[in-house]
Amino acid sequence: MTSYFVRRFLLILPTFIGVTILVFTLTRLVPGGPIERMLNEAALAGAEGSTTISAGIDGRGGSVLSDEQIEQLKRYYGFDKPVILSYFDWLGKVFTLDLGTSTRYTEPVWETIKSRLPISIFYGVATLILTYGVCIPLGIVKAIKHKTAFDNVSSALVFFGYAIPSYVVGIACLTLFAANLEWFPLSGFVSDDFDDLSTIGKALDILDHAALPLVAYLAGSFAVTTMLMKNSLMDNLAADYVRTAIAKGMAFRRAVFAHACRNSLIPLATSFGNTITLVITGSFLIEKIFNIDGFGLLGFESLVERDYPVVMGILVISSLLFLIGNILSDICVAFVDPRVKFGSGGSNQ
Amino acid sequence: MPLLSIENLSISFETDEGVVDVIDDVSISLEEGETLGLVGESGCGKSVTALAVMGLLPKPAGRVTGGVIRFEGRDLTQLTSEQLSRVRGDQVAMIFQEPMTALNPVHRVGKQLGESYRLHHPNASKAEIRSEALRLMDHVGIPAAERRLDEYPHQLSGGMRQRVMIAMALSSRPRILIADEPTTALDVTIQAQILELLRDLQREYGMSIIFITHDLGVIAELASRVVVMYAGRIAEEASVETLFASPLHPYTRGLLDSIPRLESESKSVLPTIPGVVPSIDELPVGCRFSNRCEFAQDQCSINKPLLELATESRTVACLRWRELEQNAVATA
Repeated sequence: MTSYFVRRFLLILPTFIGVTILVFTLTRLVPGGPIERMLNEAALAGAEGSTTISAGIDGRGGSVLSDEQIEQLKRYYGFDKPVILSYFDWLGKVFTLDLGTSTRYTEPVWETIKSRLPISIFYGVATLILTYGVCIPLGIVKAIKHKTAFDNVSSALVFFGYAIPSYVVGIACLTLFAANLEWFPLSGFVSDDFDDLSTIGKALDILDHAALPLVAYLAGSFAVTTMLMKNSLMDNLAADYVRTAIAKGMAFRRAVFAHACRNSLIPLATSFGNTITLVITGSFLIEKIFNIDGFGLLGFESLVERDYPVVMGILVISSLLFLIGNILSDICVAFVDPRVKFGSGGSNQ
Repeated sequence: MPLLSIENLSISFETDEGVVDVIDDVSISLEEGETLGLVGESGCGKSVTALAVMGLLPKPAGRVTGGVIRFEGRDLTQLTSEQLSRVRGDQVAMIFQEPMTALNPVHRVGKQLGESYRLHHPNASKAEIRSEALRLMDHVGIPAAERRLDEYPHQLSGGMRQRVMIAMALSSRPRILIADEPTTALDVTIQAQILELLRDLQREYGMSIIFITHDLGVIAELASRVVVMYAGRIAEEASVETLFASPLHPYTRGLLDSIPRLESESKSVLPTIPGVVPSIDELPVGCRFSNRCEFAQDQCSINKPLLELATESRTVACLRWRELEQNAVATA
């Protein structure tokens, strides 16, 4: 089994190179880029009050910068070299843990990303705990009370939440609870006077701000895991070994927890490792609605602004986390299911 | 007084097509220390009857609609699930057809084995449970029992797993062991070993066994009395010798005829009973075997044959058994 995981870890490298080379090339092929953005901004600054924003971008003739200046800029950003060469330049820097400098914030990419981490981790961990904390018990109860009123009503609720896009939930909550009823603050991650608050006050302040975004994040996230847990537990409740346990004299309720539950967690374990990516998750739409400076917004804005170093930086982190997450999932599965023996000779029958 | 008596048991199942009577008026009694064979094709209601004794009918679909299952002065069908839990595994134990799926794949063998001991000895210490598990494993003939205790079910062969199941069933020295096709899924050689083991254990523990099978060869080896079931009813009951020597019910005769015999001519066609057991929602009126019976007459598909005493020690449920018996004697 160890050799299996060593092999899996070694496979991260080629996969990682494949992913990054693809995206890197794409960023070079699509029109627009930091230079054009700067030209655009310069043009805007030059033509104050002008309504034709795009005028500066078209044709070099109307540009506010001379061709020489543009060449200089291209050299500065490495756009003068062929794609593959500048890719390897970039990759070499990545291996020295240098992700480059954001063209938009003109600060190291890592600093930009780091400033968003606490927010994303907070929401990631909160949704993770709430999702599994609700879905697993709910799935268990639903399986035991299959086809009862409780089961039907909770299914309806869970799928209702699943069916509504999260940004609609977000806007609805914001309008109702923040704007009309004023129960919760309108936006942001913390209040302006956050630094002056006591520790408890800080915690409450964060929760106060987080309540509505969390509702928006969570509304749709219960359906899949709950139904997976329910169906998988029902399969296991019908399994022979549960009947064996009851035939031994075990009470049904105890057989559910002592025998069926662990087996039912196996399908959940197959994706559990990927929760490591929660560090950088965050929905751009929800972050936009609640004005939270998280990863979703950063990723989206850096794409729109053609801030390629940041785009690539996020890609590096997310693809690495995703690849490691897959391996962690495998480890989780091997942990709950003793039958799983990756790669090696199999059982000794 | 019999140890266990099933009296006029009826069981119905709720299906998509409505409620169906799966078991119809079945009465079986089991004496202390005897082995009773319960025979019939797949779908005859043998397992359902056994599961009803254990209170293990699939819920909520299956339900006992009539009759009693009397064991030690109590009616098992009337017990609460808590009372039933104390009987199950303790007084009445059961082993199943599929040893591959009857054990929990994610728990070690020793844990599952110890569990059945612990359930009925709540004050047992860990060491006590383990040594008991070890003793049981050894007792049912599992080599290297110490090591096997810490293995998972998938590391054991089918025969080993069935031995573990038997060890589990025996942990409380039950008075009745219900064996539901325990050898059907095993190789013939392993099958013989398991039967041998069951026979030895019965002698040692003095327990009664209800042995469910469709294999008459196994019955001949193990059982002293046989109940033949067909489509949820009892067709015939007799001692093993009598049944094999002179079957009265055409269904029993059909079953016996379809056993290949060494003395039969080579390459002759093996007789079979035409058709299959009718599914529970399309049972014939009258005698349920009538649509497959070569001796069926008009009355057979109208009147329900009642179980009647053929001799002092055997019963049969067939409208024509007297004439058929005379014919059989005449041709013999």
